[in-house]
Amino acid sequence: MGALEGIATGFQVALSLEGIMFVLIGVFVGTFIGMLPGLGPISAIAIMIPITYGMDPTMALVMMAGVYYGAVFGGSTSSILLNAPGISGTVASAFDGYPMAQQGKAGKALAIAALSSFVGGTISVVLLMIFAPMLASVAISFGPPAYFALMLLGLSAIASLSEGSTIKAMISAVVGFMIATIGIDPQTGTARFNFGSANLLDGIDFLVIALGLFAIAEVCYLIMNRAKKSVGTAKEIGSLRLSKNDMKEMSGPVGRQSFLGFILGILPGAGATIASFISYITEKKIAKNPDEFGKGSVKGLAAPEASNNAATSGAFVPLLSLGIPGSGTTAVMLGAFLVLGLQPGPMMMTDRPEVFWGIIASMYIGNIFLLILNLPLIPYIARLLTIPRPMLISLVIMFSFIGVYAISFSVFDLYLLLAFGVLGLLMRMFAFPAPPFILAFILGGMMEQSFRQSMTISGGNISIFFENNISLVLIILSVLSFIFPIIKTIRTKKKEA
Amino acid sequence: MLKNVNQRVAIVLAVLSAFYLVLSYQLPTYPYIPVDADGVPKALGWLLLALSVGLFFSKDRDSEEQKAKRHIPKKDVISLLVVFLLVFLYITFFESLGFILATVLFVFSSTWYLGYKKHMVNAIVSILFPIILYSIFVYMLQIRLPAGILPF
Repeated sequence: MGALEGIATGFQVALSLEGIMFVLIGVFVGTFIGMLPGLGPISAIAIMIPITYGMDPTMALVMMAGVYYGAVFGGSTSSILLNAPGISGTVASAFDGYPMAQQGKAGKALAIAALSSFVGGTISVVLLMIFAPMLASVAISFGPPAYFALMLLGLSAIASLSEGSTIKAMISAVVGFMIATIGIDPQTGTARFNFGSANLLDGIDFLVIALGLFAIAEVCYLIMNRAKKSVGTAKEIGSLRLSKNDMKEMSGPVGRQSFLGFILGILPGAGATIASFISYITEKKIAKNPDEFGKGSVKGLAAPEASNNAATSGAFVPLLSLGIPGSGTTAVMLGAFLVLGLQPGPMMMTDRPEVFWGIIASMYIGNIFLLILNLPLIPYIARLLTIPRPMLISLVIMFSFIGVYAISFSVFDLYLLLAFGVLGLLMRMFAFPAPPFILAFILGGMMEQSFRQSMTISGGNISIFFENNISLVLIILSVLSFIFPIIKTIRTKKKEA
Repeated sequence: MLKNVNQRVAIVLAVLSAFYLVLSYQLPTYPYIPVDADGVPKALGWLLLALSVGLFFSKDRDSEEQKAKRHIPKKDVISLLVVFLLVFLYITFFESLGFILATVLFVFSSTWYLGYKKHMVNAIVSILFPIILYSIFVYMLQIRLPAGILPF
């Protein structure tokens, strides 16, 4: 199937009544969950997975993609209205969005965010359409060594680019990988680390980890801070209209940062958070009046908004074309694919073109929905934020429980969910980032298999990883991404001294 | 004496890696397999041990914000423990009481305990949500949730 034919198939899927309905549900639910402080796209996708059981996989994934970018959009709404970013990717949006809202221009800020997100999202979907098939055609020739090296790069990048201490991010990734080794080894049939329990023979389901580390841990946090962090009611929104001057001011940053955000989104480990910060900083550096930044600047809000949405689509490139997620969120998306019996990767474009192109095409529709439906509805959705904290806590626990039980039908997994919730809370308290953990957990099994397959092919000779150009380059990049933060730390210390 | 929290965490992680390594070295191996089921776990165990040593000697210090995150007032710890107890009971009776009954009891009691005072609204939400979700899962998605003592 050619690209044009593929695009046509994709739009057929996305523009069907079912497709439109599920995109709408996805972006709406995503926006709502993304607005809730702490609950970002990872929790949103994980909570929605059980709803997709029994659904047509294409429609399910179209909906999940909607949840993903809807959550990013929702995150910016709470950043602007409440200075309480729903996700880390929208923290930069609060720098200028919140001051703008404080000045009584919340409507304008929301309109700038929505329009910038729309342009960023749309430009990046066009780029996704071009790059994903290109990368997939290259990846089709990848053998186990190249795949192993690619996953190693993904892990090393997310560990070195995580916020805070690199060593803690690495520890988080290693522990995630260790958890992935629990259960029967698929190559030899050896039961590993199951302590004699039949419940652990199949390993631990990724949903237990995703919901535990993110949703339940956030609930614990909410319980402890329920008095302190009251969300409050939405403020006066004001007019949503933008002047010609605003549009002119926005156009430059939005155009530039859509491309930058997309590229940063493709890179493993970078994602929406880093993209939005880099965009904000670059726009501030090249601005004629950098002093306006942080005081309600149009450019300061438009840049991170275009960038974080573009990065969201960019993150789909490695997921769809290589089957390798580059971030915690796309790792959970990969989990959703697997739950639905689909394996993303280079073969999906030829084997299941309707899924591959359907998801991409649905993103156009989703972006339009975000703009024309969500924006006018924002003041009403924002009122939902006034759901009392105690009720929200109980309901999130209930949703998480249904999700886990419906996939495993095992009460044992519910206890595990609770245990991972406690682990997630401890990780937050001691500043161990959770995204490297979930990425390592999901990639761990695949990494081990491709490593062992490579070693079997080479008869135990490790040089197989250095014989192939692709794997050699990827391994060098992985090593560099490990070394880079160490050099940076040493340099900073020298400067301080 | 351990000077900072990172050193204490490093010790816990080192113990964890030692435990994992002991289990890894007990895994059975077979001849003619270049990397057996124990290969990757052993590597991970040693890697975690090395990283724990690195953390022990690292000069990273927590920010004030991080320290504040760890400071939990006693009252909140008690709230957390009570909710955990409720969750524990919820899990224990999840299958025997059934999804609807166990969930109604859990959602109502935890919302009430956490300080929500409008009992009527709480009761309506606690009853409606589980019934709607149960119907969606069981009748629409054909996914069986435990019926328990209820006849449907």
